[in-house]
Amino acid sequence: MVYEIWVFAEQQDGKVRKITFELLSAGMEFSKKTARPLSAILLGKGLEEAVKSLTPFADKIYLLDDPVFNPYTSDAYLTAIIALVKEHQPSILLGGATSTGKDLFPRLAMALQAGYAPDCTGLTTGEDGSLVAIRPLYGGKVFSEVVFSNASPQLATVRSNTFIVTGTPDKSAQVITVTPQVDPSSLKKKVLGVEKAAGAKLDITEAERVVAAGRGIKGAENFKILEELADALNASVGTTRAVVDAGWREVKDQIGKSGKNISAKLYMAFGISGAIHHVLGIGTCKTVVAVDTDPNALIFNYADYGIVGDLFQIIPALTEELKKALKNA
Amino acid sequence: MEIYVLVKQVPDPEAIVKVKSDAELEIENKYFTNFFDEIAIEAGLKLKEKFGGKVTVLTVDNRKVDALRRGISMGVDEAFQITDPGLEGSDLFGIARALAVFFKAKPFDLILAGRQAMDDDAGIVGPAVAEILRIPHINSIIGLEVDDEKKEAKVVREVENGKEILTCPLPALFTCQKGLATPRIPLVMNVMKAMKAQIKKMDLPALGLSGSDVGARAARVKVRKYFPPPKRPPVKMMKEDFPENVKTLVRLLREEAKVI
Repeated sequence: MVYEIWVFAEQQDGKVRKITFELLSAGMEFSKKTARPLSAILLGKGLEEAVKSLTPFADKIYLLDDPVFNPYTSDAYLTAIIALVKEHQPSILLGGATSTGKDLFPRLAMALQAGYAPDCTGLTTGEDGSLVAIRPLYGGKVFSEVVFSNASPQLATVRSNTFIVTGTPDKSAQVITVTPQVDPSSLKKKVLGVEKAAGAKLDITEAERVVAAGRGIKGAENFKILEELADALNASVGTTRAVVDAGWREVKDQIGKSGKNISAKLYMAFGISGAIHHVLGIGTCKTVVAVDTDPNALIFNYADYGIVGDLFQIIPALTEELKKALKNA
Repeated sequence: MEIYVLVKQVPDPEAIVKVKSDAELEIENKYFTNFFDEIAIEAGLKLKEKFGGKVTVLTVDNRKVDALRRGISMGVDEAFQITDPGLEGSDLFGIARALAVFFKAKPFDLILAGRQAMDDDAGIVGPAVAEILRIPHINSIIGLEVDDEKKEAKVVREVENGKEILTCPLPALFTCQKGLATPRIPLVMNVMKAMKAQIKKMDLPALGLSGSDVGARAARVKVRKYFPPPKRPPVKMMKEDFPENVKTLVRLLREEAKVI
């Protein structure tokens, strides 16, 4: 038995999500170190484009192209993936810590009696193929190094932007078409519809750049200037609990303990005082910029760059300055 | 409706948590009922108000039962604590086994839980319990309508930058996200009553579980080491007047941080 390293390839409308390429890029390193093949498992309907984009990133693609897999439901995916894992016995199975990953992986781990490290911010492997996962605990106040028992496979989901997508993928995957043994009448959950937020912005958990404002922005209508900055930067817009509780923005945009943890490469906070609830959600962001009128605001303790100033003055100026800088790039 | 809510007492977000040694944490004694679990309790109580029946809260914890008392003060009917020295060292799948076996001989319509606990932020126990019980689960719901006669639920689930609307038959397990319900503030009188209320205890033999199902021996993952979060270098403040400070910031983001 060759114990392969597997990545659950997440796709939406036939397009593979960026997190999958991030995981496959990390998987290439693991594959080199352990001399084990790297495989992607891809489920959905109408996957030609997805297969093409995955081909340079994996040694094999297990392809399950069937209407039963579109849209995602855990029922159909579980049945198919459990059967596939039992047949091929991969040593590692990785997925994104996305809404799908968080829905699928705990159940998959339970069914397979496998170990599972959720929502990791780091992942390494020994030469023997044993995974070591880094996980923040208590909202990032401490970190843990998680190891697995000998049970196989080892499962982990990883936050977006933890790994960088390699620019030079050089594999050429063999496509293995698998006929799914899923009876559509056995599926209990039915998806009636999906409502997408207006605009094509990435979710704040996936975006490489996030700009956010707190109560300092003084009202829902003022988010317009932040949206303009976001457009200039190709960033997504986040916010704080106080703003969501005031009804100015939706819960899905909330960063922090009762909201989302983000791992953006660039995070900019405007008019955010830096309550612990909020800063716990930005601990794994790479570069943090804070702008606030109060020079003693706690947010400056968690930032790399700071400006003491009025966001109503700073944001529009920053938008213009960034537009110029990015145009000359 | 027979509704069960899985709850956990966790450190308050304000509580200080520090690394004491590789193997041990120092956690300030400042606990509260997991934020998302309170939302689940509220959602359960709302369904009971509409359809009648019973709401029961359930926790696996050898020490802390305040989450159960919180549930009682909010108005649930019954509270169970699963407690046994054999549970020490369990991973979350062990906890899920202990919870699932509780339901073996019980008819139920709905199990609710928080979308994740604010200590380990794992989100494992809910879906894992559903897997053992072979019932559907839906994660991170922000809307819930139940048709008690048809034994069917229509839920809204949060997904990246949008919402998904699903139906599924009951019994089922749903994990609850902020926005689903606003937890009621219990009356002082009910808080007092809850302090004295009886908590029913169950141990592993009562559940028919052995040490090989739960505890350290059954665990598939363990923490090898705790460590403090990486520290950020001290903040660089842009000292110039506006608009020079904005120009400097953009230059540093480009040349130093290399993020634009």
